Amino acid sequence: MSDAAHTPDDGVSSDDEFDPIQVFPESTEMDLRPGADDCYKCSTCDTNCPVAEVDDDFPGPKFQGPEQWRLKRTEDHDIDDSILKCSNCMRCDNACPSEVPLSQMHNTARGAYVDEQMNKLSREYWRNRLLSNYRIMAHLGSKVPRLTNFVMGLGVTRAFNEKVLGITSEREFPDFATETFREWWHNRGGAAASRDRAQAARTSRGIDGDEPKRIAYFHGCYSNYNTPEVGKALVRVYEHFGYEVLVPKQRCSGTPMYANGMLQDAKRAADTNVPELAAAIDEGADIIASCTSCSMSLRQEYPELFDIEDVERVSNNTWEGLEFLRVHEDLESELQGTTADVPELAYHAPCHARNQGLDGQAIEVLSVIDGVDVEDVGDSCSGISGTYGWKEENYDTSMKIGEDMFQHMEGASGETGMTECPTCSMQMEHGTGYEIRHPLEILEVALLEGPEAA
Amino acid sequence: MAYDTTVLVIGGGSTGCGIARDLAMRGVEVTLLERGNLTHGTTGRMHGLLHSGGRYAVSDQASARECIDENIILRDIAGHCVEMTGGLFVQRPEDPDDYFQQKLSGCKECDIPARVLSGGEAREIEPHLAKDVKRAIEVPDGAVDPFRLCVANAIDAERHGARIETHAEVIDLLRDGDDIYGVTVRHDSGPGKRTHKTPGSTEDITAEYVVNASGAWAGQIGDMADLEVAVRPSKGVMTIMNVRQVDTVINRCRPKGDADIIVPHETTAILGTTDEEVSDPDDYPEAQWEVDMMIDTLSELVPILQDARTIRSFWGVRPLYEPPGTGTEDPTDITRDFFLLDHAERDGVTGMTSIVGGKLTTYRLMAEQIADHVCAQLGHQASCATADEPLPGSENLEALETAMDDFGLRSPVARRSKQRLGSRSQEVLDTNEPNPVICNCESVTRAEIRDAIEQSGSDLNAVRIRTRASMGNCQGGFCTHLIANELVDEYDEPTARAAYDELLQERWKGQRHALWGEQLSQAMLSYALHATTFNADGDTARSGQAIDFAAFDSGQSDSSGGTTGRATTDGGTQRTDQGGDR
Repeated sequence: MSDAAHTPDDGVSSDDEFDPIQVFPESTEMDLRPGADDCYKCSTCDTNCPVAEVDDDFPGPKFQGPEQWRLKRTEDHDIDDSILKCSNCMRCDNACPSEVPLSQMHNTARGAYVDEQMNKLSREYWRNRLLSNYRIMAHLGSKVPRLTNFVMGLGVTRAFNEKVLGITSEREFPDFATETFREWWHNRGGAAASRDRAQAARTSRGIDGDEPKRIAYFHGCYSNYNTPEVGKALVRVYEHFGYEVLVPKQRCSGTPMYANGMLQDAKRAADTNVPELAAAIDEGADIIASCTSCSMSLRQEYPELFDIEDVERVSNNTWEGLEFLRVHEDLESELQGTTADVPELAYHAPCHARNQGLDGQAIEVLSVIDGVDVEDVGDSCSGISGTYGWKEENYDTSMKIGEDMFQHMEGASGETGMTECPTCSMQMEHGTGYEIRHPLEILEVALLEGPEAA
Repeated sequence: MAYDTTVLVIGGGSTGCGIARDLAMRGVEVTLLERGNLTHGTTGRMHGLLHSGGRYAVSDQASARECIDENIILRDIAGHCVEMTGGLFVQRPEDPDDYFQQKLSGCKECDIPARVLSGGEAREIEPHLAKDVKRAIEVPDGAVDPFRLCVANAIDAERHGARIETHAEVIDLLRDGDDIYGVTVRHDSGPGKRTHKTPGSTEDITAEYVVNASGAWAGQIGDMADLEVAVRPSKGVMTIMNVRQVDTVINRCRPKGDADIIVPHETTAILGTTDEEVSDPDDYPEAQWEVDMMIDTLSELVPILQDARTIRSFWGVRPLYEPPGTGTEDPTDITRDFFLLDHAERDGVTGMTSIVGGKLTTYRLMAEQIADHVCAQLGHQASCATADEPLPGSENLEALETAMDDFGLRSPVARRSKQRLGSRSQEVLDTNEPNPVICNCESVTRAEIRDAIEQSGSDLNAVRIRTRASMGNCQGGFCTHLIANELVDEYDEPTARAAYDELLQERWKGQRHALWGEQLSQAMLSYALHATTFNADGDTARSGQAIDFAAFDSGQSDSSGGTTGRATTDGGTQRTDQGGDR
């Protein structure tokens, strides 16, 4: 800052001398007031908010987003604490007919709330920090998976979690796999083995061997530590089509961190993910995720929240696993005449799949397969929304939101569930006791006729 | 028998209300008459700038000095109406360097704190400034809410015994020879607080002294007693943006020109303005090109404005005046100073003084000088205390800031409510009743609406200027009926309807000049809501026309089908006998 004696610079500043983004070193200081211009208050977001529907004290996304931002002045730093009741399902984004950046507003407000108003010594803060950094817990837990699973299942552990940490004892922690996806991938021979398999597949399919077909798999935390079968299915299906799979170094996509207002944790993870994924794109790969919240985060939240080199490029080249194949391969012809011996399925489309326009694809694709009988259980939200439903204070709300889905699942003829989202699958299992599958697993059965030898 | 008062003030703008308060505080019995709502004329149609004096530092240093003095006083006595945003005079590469230097030295000569910022430093304060701005001068400009300021003066005048009459139009000055001894006033709805549908009445009010503080209308008042007051009304357009693109007052640093200021105002930003002389302050053209030109020109300073949403535009009329014989051609060159015209000295007619010219920032000083003059005429010995006595709402604001009570409201609602109410927050918001938010755009709760109704009767525009309810992005689309609903305890249904109609129309008026993009969507949604839920597009219950029920068919009968009549879009059957009136 200058003072009165300061000599002004008379020259016109060049563009690179000052970049306005530097004014806001932290993304939590983003000014989203202009985003309120798009809101004409139709309230469609409020009527689509699953939390507002069951909780009368929750003011809803219109207040949380455009109204609260519009009322803000530079010197105001208090955010209403109701922001913590938002489950980050992002249905409001999808509902809005006018392109209000609702979830960006919510994420940013939540980040500011946690930064400036939440007591960093509180149980709530540390509980949220722990939940949103699931990858670190999972990393440690999966070193000794059987012991961890045993301990986490103990009544005394669950009582401790609830009393001391505020994590509901109603839910059972998901088991850790005895072999993580990355361990499997490594033991299987990594990228070199994948290159060979892809090459073989291309030869047998009669595709020109030099044509680069390459994807980088963003497995996220859950299919690495808890459901490696989903990751394995993705790898096998893509190799079947002749794609060489890369598995770049990666950290959490950030979804649970935004949902808990831990934007700096999310930024640190993004600082690893973006350059790693950008490097894969340089090698000709597209980025494929099997979790719809991971693909959502890379596509939408990264560029909305973080100013990182290549963030737009990563966003523009990220796909969900089934989506990419539908666009780039003739999936329907490929599946014509295939059969899969799987139980009848009750499918729930995750909210984050909905936001990417992917809610209809699983049923459309899988119905072509002989022996697959899959029924959509409707457009309600599962209610768990990642870490939201794990919090003691949100458990009841979460189950109330899930009520519709549970009923529809019971009403469907199948007694096995299917969804793309790991936490939706926890909720589905918790509410019905059904086993839950991922669409890629069904695809694997149809295309590869049983598990391939690893 | 006529009502008699000591001093009668004509005009409920900032000047009139300021005079009424000043005189009342000096113990003079005073009556104020305003033909519309308080602020109805020019006060409610300005950009809300609390001048630092910087704007006049080159062209009119006397005004500049008055501005900085009054600026400091108002921060003190009207803290709840003022936001000290700071201001920048921004120079673009094409703007003259010598003027920038003149501005800087002018500020110093007038004791206006000023410092120079580089383009980069200016953009650190206001990131939306154009990347190529050259440099800026920082001055203590601020934002002032003219409605709140004016109302607070009126409330305090009443507390000191003044009678304030709104919707009371002066239709004649009572003149006996060379003495003016009162006025004839037409009450739109009976004297006292306004209640719609109350029959109007006329009343003669006699006074020892009359003060004509009607601003741009001073000439018309003068005419009533054959006195010439050569006001030169000059119109200017202002456009309200939906959000604050800037939090600092942004002035263009060049000699003069239209469209050179952006004032952050409450939740919005106001763009101003133009300067064009008009013959009749009540009837002048409002052209869309004026709005377009302003947005285009100011986008040179703040590019984001080009695509930003405007919620309405309005025109105000400056009460410019210059002494006879000055003959300035361009209204932008007419002085912004104010003039006290004692008609006894000027025209040989006793009993009345007119005050013309001036600006909101110096309203208190104008009021002080005219009150001094009036007291001298009356031989009343009392000194002015308005520079030291805080206005109602501005007492002990520091104490309010430290008291953390949010009155059970969500934090942004509490924050904005407390800002508007100042030290009256406790008295208004601390209620045992449920206190829902009525106007979501501006965060106005039921308690605040009811407080305003108590002050101003069934007039919802008076509620609006006191609370900001309906002044946000939906322009009343989602709250007009809810505000009207708050009238039910005290007023009957036709009164509430009339009040609802009036507010809805007033909100529509300004939106006519913002009908593109999102505000067009907003207006269409508001129209649809009010037309379909309140029959606001043509309610037979209000128009008194009977419904022609015979024009409706009796629906599809069980035997219909075959060749008689085709299905219509609503599923009924088209009448084949004779057409009813549609």
